[in-house]
Amino acid sequence: MPVQIPKDKWPGQVRVATIGATEADGGTRTSVITVGGEKALPFMHFEAEMPYRPVIALEIKDRKPDDWSPLLLETWGEAMDAPGAWAKAAEAAGADMLQLSLSLTGVDGEPNTPDKAVTAVQSVLNSSGLPLAVFGPGQKEADNELLVPVAEATKGERIALGICEDKNYRTIVATAMANDHLVTARAPMDVNLSKQLNILITDMGLPLERIIMDPTTGALGYGIEYGYSVMERLRLAALQGDTMTQLPMIVTPGFEAWKAKESKVGTGVPAAWGDWLERAINWETLTAVALLESGADILVLRHPESVRRVRMAIEELMEAEELRLATGN
Amino acid sequence: MYIIGENIHIISQKVKDALKARDAEYFKKSAIRQVEAGAQALDLNLGPRKRDWEEVFPWMVKTVESVVDVPLSLDSTNILGIEAGLKAVTKAQPIINSTSAEAERLEKVPLLAKKYNARLIALTMGKSGIPVGADERVNIALEKLIPRALEIDFPISDLIIDPLVLTVSGCQEYCPELIEAVRTIQFAWDPPPPISVGLSNVSNAVPRHNRPLINRVYCAMLMGAGLQMMIADPFDEKQNEVIRVIEERDEGTAVGRLYLKIHDRIAAMEQPVYEDVDPTDPEQVAIWKTVQILLNKVIYADSYLQQEAVM
Repeated sequence: MPVQIPKDKWPGQVRVATIGATEADGGTRTSVITVGGEKALPFMHFEAEMPYRPVIALEIKDRKPDDWSPLLLETWGEAMDAPGAWAKAAEAAGADMLQLSLSLTGVDGEPNTPDKAVTAVQSVLNSSGLPLAVFGPGQKEADNELLVPVAEATKGERIALGICEDKNYRTIVATAMANDHLVTARAPMDVNLSKQLNILITDMGLPLERIIMDPTTGALGYGIEYGYSVMERLRLAALQGDTMTQLPMIVTPGFEAWKAKESKVGTGVPAAWGDWLERAINWETLTAVALLESGADILVLRHPESVRRVRMAIEELMEAEELRLATGN
Repeated sequence: MYIIGENIHIISQKVKDALKARDAEYFKKSAIRQVEAGAQALDLNLGPRKRDWEEVFPWMVKTVESVVDVPLSLDSTNILGIEAGLKAVTKAQPIINSTSAEAERLEKVPLLAKKYNARLIALTMGKSGIPVGADERVNIALEKLIPRALEIDFPISDLIIDPLVLTVSGCQEYCPELIEAVRTIQFAWDPPPPISVGLSNVSNAVPRHNRPLINRVYCAMLMGAGLQMMIADPFDEKQNEVIRVIEERDEGTAVGRLYLKIHDRIAAMEQPVYEDVDPTDPEQVAIWKTVQILLNKVIYADSYLQQEAVM
């Protein structure tokens, strides 16, 4: 008996956003990423096109971090000592994009400075042609002090500047507008606040096409179900026609998963937990893939092996789309 | 619409101060003004008053009864306080606000209502909180609240079911379900049990300037579902105007016609449609946007009115 597969048809569509600018568009990137454009829930290729595949970013820092897992320190090794080298290594590891996190302090413990931040960003841009997101240290004053000069020094590169939050978005949005960049907008796992922040940012005059939403998420076992629900709800609203939720979503499963005990700790855990490295990579990969299924457009990861595995998952999930395009169905 | 005036509520700093000072004049004035503004009963929410309930509840009842004749709704979690207040009532049949379906309260509070011939507001809320779905709330009324009233021979006409309004800011999915709960509870008994809600809860945690619009749009929708009683602010003139327009079916203004349309669509179990709205009138567009968030069609955000209308 033939089975009739029910199809949803949605009135709304996620906006398309491009991060990075090539020389032709006033930047220096050798590649850019374009995300969004979904007209159906993730990977429902039989319902509507999913014109852009989700992309993978690798997180790098302007200096060797103090609080990253030894497994990550081992993996990246000496590359971590210089942001340019790290960027190059991340590109070699297969990332589509880089996400540079600026530190609050230098290795010497002194506060980070605008000059140092600009130097770090420029060295990343000089070492890799990948499109870039730059996040401040996450404290209002430091974020504004560092991100404004970075935005100015990289005018036209279409960097995604982050992280805008309801307590601090005006300065970041203003500099993104003035220097042809994008912003990422984070709300604490709350659909109402996510949407409110998008409204506030667009009120300042930044077009929706230059905002990437960061709904915040938790790692596998640490609240991922809440993050999943929020993303699902935002995406459903977008498909139903709610303009202020029709934005591509960036999530940071790398940051989240490597905070989890299961990834962070190698000793004093039950033997049944198995090999530490394998477990950590599984944690990051499974967190990322779950988020992919809830509508993530950009996944920020930390480990090269996770990049490889998540890439495989994306390829498989997108196969039906290739088929659809090939057969014209 | 039977309005139980909500303005004597301990959450207000003025009420708190006046109560502390036992400022009888403040409460008399509030009571008179609320009744003059159209309140047909007055809610007295004094909090639990764990230490001074014995004195405070009767004092408040006497103070308010010295100037108005309407029923008083004793709103507290403190059963002893409520009883002390009930003993002091000399005028209209009082109201107890409230019992829930939680076993201990449902055991005691209805007995108190029966003993003092009070009406009783009964919340469709059990031990595990407030269910989202309309059906589950109706079931609490059907399986817990009404059976308890029957069991103690308490008249269903005095059992006022409150299916619980929750805020659109954070509990948005509850908003359309409440409308359906109001509609369905009317079929729970014959004749239908009275239904009341705390209307302004719908705009809790919403920026102050947006609250009245949300309240009155929700009011129109709930009237469409058959709501005839609510705890609300009798001083809200625009809300009173919406109620009047609907009750008198006054088609004299375009905005009035839109409220009637919204009311009628809900009454017909339809959803309001954008075609009902004149897109050149900003007030109508704001009403439409509010309908959309209250039906959980568009995600609520504090600045939802700044967003272009979703059709």
